[in-house]
Amino acid sequence: MSRAAAAAAGVALRLLPAERRDWVRAIWAESYEVPSGRRRLAWLAGGLPAIATGALMASRIGRWLVFAVAAGCTARVTWPGSPDRFATVIARMDLITVVLLLAGLPWLMSRFLGSASDSRLGRFLRVGGYGAVLTYTVAKARLVPAGPDPTGPALQFAWFAEILLLVVVAGYVAAILAVTARRSRVAPATLAIGTGAGVVLGVVMYAVAPLGLSKVATDPWLPGSEIDPVVALAWILLLGGPMAAAVLAGRRYLGPGDPHEIDKARIWQCAVAGILATGVGALIVAILGTGTIALMPRAAWLRHWLYPGQHLLAGAVHSRELAASNGSGAYGLILIAFPVIGLLLGVFSSAAAIESSGPPAGGGGPPRPEPGPEPVPDSPGSGRLADAGAGKGGSTAGLPGWGEEGPDGVQGEVMAGLTGGAGLGAGAR
Amino acid sequence: MRSRTRFSAQTLSVLAALCEEPSQWRHGYALAEQTGLKSGTLYPILIRLAERGLVEACWQEEPAPGRPRRHLYRLTVPGLATAMEVTASAAGSAPRPGARAARSARAGRPAVDPVTG
Repeated sequence: MSRAAAAAAGVALRLLPAERRDWVRAIWAESYEVPSGRRRLAWLAGGLPAIATGALMASRIGRWLVFAVAAGCTARVTWPGSPDRFATVIARMDLITVVLLLAGLPWLMSRFLGSASDSRLGRFLRVGGYGAVLTYTVAKARLVPAGPDPTGPALQFAWFAEILLLVVVAGYVAAILAVTARRSRVAPATLAIGTGAGVVLGVVMYAVAPLGLSKVATDPWLPGSEIDPVVALAWILLLGGPMAAAVLAGRRYLGPGDPHEIDKARIWQCAVAGILATGVGALIVAILGTGTIALMPRAAWLRHWLYPGQHLLAGAVHSRELAASNGSGAYGLILIAFPVIGLLLGVFSSAAAIESSGPPAGGGGPPRPEPGPEPVPDSPGSGRLADAGAGKGGSTAGLPGWGEEGPDGVQGEVMAGLTGGAGLGAGAR
Repeated sequence: MRSRTRFSAQTLSVLAALCEEPSQWRHGYALAEQTGLKSGTLYPILIRLAERGLVEACWQEEPAPGRPRRHLYRLTVPGLATAMEVTASAAGSAPRPGARAARSARAGRPAVDPVTG
């Protein structure tokens, strides 16, 4: 390695927190044992960025740096275009508004609900939510305009629709920040269950409508009978998913508080689980769908995937993309309607959750049977994960509530939500 | 007490590898070879295990000539207990890996000088 590269590595090392520098040195030293060439390069290229990224994300400056880079990349893609075109004006307005929202709302929310929680799922949701909103902004800007610029009443409606969509996006960002805040009343199990259900719903909904709700564009994707199994599954997940998530979240909530307070809190958990299940699903289908429409004319592999076995002429691709672009507004409706559906179904299901839970633990009735001989007491923060700063003393006493480990930890918590959330925080078992 | 700790498959493989000879200090590359994990996966796991006191780390005192000092790892006593518990439960009803390790943990681990690693 040249001296210049070594010097650059030295400077980069000094940017890291002191406690992480040893780990970088460790990987560096260990690379001498790795056979030289590609394997050694892979060793360094895999290990050093993993530690540097982790350390950067742990610091406030690092988080702002990552956000600035992501916002810059988004601007680079969305900003170009003639300012005379309506689509360009809208794309720029979207970009500026979204960046301001993402930068300003955390500060505003922290005044009411505190900073971000320490849970991995919370961090994953925040990072994923930010990435999702920026990706959606890019995908929306890259849609081919369906026709000439609107004029007259159509222009007014277009502005109204855009502003409404930005308000909805602001609502999503605020909701993500609220449920992942330190003083949030949402239990970790609720977060995991709702998010898990939402991921499944979003993926299935995307399979049903990868190109919006345009029949012309989407019909070839799901040929066959009127009642396609995937469509049926999507309906079941849309209506049944939030209810199941709500019942599960409500049943898993154990306190603290007197029975009346616990019942009220259970209704809250049910409502949040329902909103999360549909909100996360809506966000996923909107991003994937809008991205697919934007990519379709540019990526041959995507066209092969969307229309297997069909050899489309350029004109046919263009007409289907126009149809899909026209239908992409349906994703905006999904973004609005799904959380409302989730809220209603969640509140509706809370009665079942409360009824099936029986008398809450510590609330005068018989205690809930615990599988283990030493039940861990509920944490004071309505069941928030108890792993904040745990284990510093090198004792397993700090381990209860320590969730999934390793690089797939977040996925593990989400999957735990799908399978019942086993092993989550102490207060929301 | 019933453990509520859950680990990913990768973390379990690291714990199992460290559990095989818990008194020995291990190198990162040897662990990577044994577990099949890439450095970008292995080291974040080691960092988290160390931050939670399940793994201790130190620097080799006498490195090979012309080589930098290597970083060494082994399980702490609580780490060994946790590792045995989770690897045993992961293996289901299979015999516990590292029964020798259990005896070692109960008897107190012999100190190993990390001179040569």
